[in-house]
Amino acid sequence: MNAVYGEVARLSGTGVALRSTLVALACGGGLTLLLALTGPQNAQPPMPDIDTPEGVGFVLGIGTVLLFVPALIGTIAITNEYRHRTIGTTFLVVPRRGRVLTAKLAVYTALGIVYGMVASLSAFLALIVATWMRGVPLGVNVVNLVPALIQLSLAAAAYMLLGVGIGALVRSPFVAIGVVLGYFLFVEYVLMMVPGVNAIYPFLPGGATASLTSFDFLTGAIASQTALTPATMVSPVLGAAILVAYAVIAAILAIFVPLRRDLR
Amino acid sequence: MNAAIEVEALSKRFGAVVALEDVTLKVEYGRVVGFLGPNGAGKSTLMRALLGLVRSDSGEAHIAGLPYAHLPAPAKTVGAVLDIASAHPRMTARAHLHTYAALGGMDRSRVDTVLSLVGAQSYADRRIGTFSTGMRQRLALATAMLGDPDILVLDEPSNGLDPSGIAWLRTFLREFADADGAVLLSSHVLNEVEHTIDDVILIDRGRTVWAGALERLVAQDAPLEEAFLRLTQKEPLL
Repeated sequence: MNAVYGEVARLSGTGVALRSTLVALACGGGLTLLLALTGPQNAQPPMPDIDTPEGVGFVLGIGTVLLFVPALIGTIAITNEYRHRTIGTTFLVVPRRGRVLTAKLAVYTALGIVYGMVASLSAFLALIVATWMRGVPLGVNVVNLVPALIQLSLAAAAYMLLGVGIGALVRSPFVAIGVVLGYFLFVEYVLMMVPGVNAIYPFLPGGATASLTSFDFLTGAIASQTALTPATMVSPVLGAAILVAYAVIAAILAIFVPLRRDLR
Repeated sequence: MNAAIEVEALSKRFGAVVALEDVTLKVEYGRVVGFLGPNGAGKSTLMRALLGLVRSDSGEAHIAGLPYAHLPAPAKTVGAVLDIASAHPRMTARAHLHTYAALGGMDRSRVDTVLSLVGAQSYADRRIGTFSTGMRQRLALATAMLGDPDILVLDEPSNGLDPSGIAWLRTFLREFADADGAVLLSSHVLNEVEHTIDDVILIDRGRTVWAGALERLVAQDAPLEEAFLRLTQKEPLL
């Protein structure tokens, strides 16, 4: 447990925990409030407003586009250990590297869940505030929102672990950030537009998240702009399983890659 | 009683570069040992191999009779300063020390003890990013002392210290050794280190070229700098 306490102290001391919470508020509550206040019906193309279930689903679903942010937080936190050379001191204090790397994963999984919960709850509150300010009813029963908010929390934890795995593999902060941003903001979208290749989209992290949250706006929008047949989303359960599989692979990389690495 | 540090025929290559070749050395309790050599001689690599940060190709390195990774309480046995840059600039010195105290299962009260020991109380709550090199060096020493170890492995610990800091370090290391501690100390500042150490281990191009008591070396070739230069001339090694 000492390794876990130490990693929690590091998260607190470096300010990562606080900044992560603030970013979750901005990405969850901030974005949702902006979308709900401006009205999805004013988007191009117009989308259903938040007084319909589809409108609420759209506003919450668009937040999944920002799930690369927890991945980025995980990546930066791990690569900073190499950048600031604290990883060497850490392995001096806990020379059994597997122990401290497992503790890091546990702590970042928890941080990912907290990130997702803060983002989800602030998004929910933003929806309530927006309906009150605009004087429109919320399109779904509050109880029906709970599964979507839990899904978002778990997806955020999976993305955080993906980021940790990428950080452990790449080590250079700038390269790792480039990999995360390049993949989630460019490569996945390009793959969605390549005929034939777009069929694999549901099995990529972004597609698995879209399946999990039943948010097919992006695939639909790209299909309508390119005349491509939209990729068929998998079931939410399979989407969750795919995301978990990615998170497990990232966790294995994060533990085993640094295990035998020389720290010169 | 085991020697504090025992290295036997340790070798390490990085690709085609031979960093260490059959290095053997011993550090006894109660002694400050100067680990000297030119740049690239292999001093840092040996210290990192000793502490499990670099995997040796062959040979053995024991601290208090065990490989570092097998020590039951490593941070309470050995304190090390290998890299003064190893601290997150957004952290305060106190938060940095709390993190490593928690990782090593040390009592939180040790944080104030070591801050006081290295004279860093006045900037304990400042962010490390604002520190001078000397302040970072004192923080690195404080981190090494968190577990109240009997053995210190210090790579260039006087870098960045002002004259009073160097004098303080000299006194500190002497008192540490006199209390039956053991110190392996690398340095390039030969004039300074000559006043601190009891024994010398000199390595060059990954090989031990001289080991023994300081007075034996300087008796033959006073001062230390002269002996150092003679023993590390760039001639082919036998």
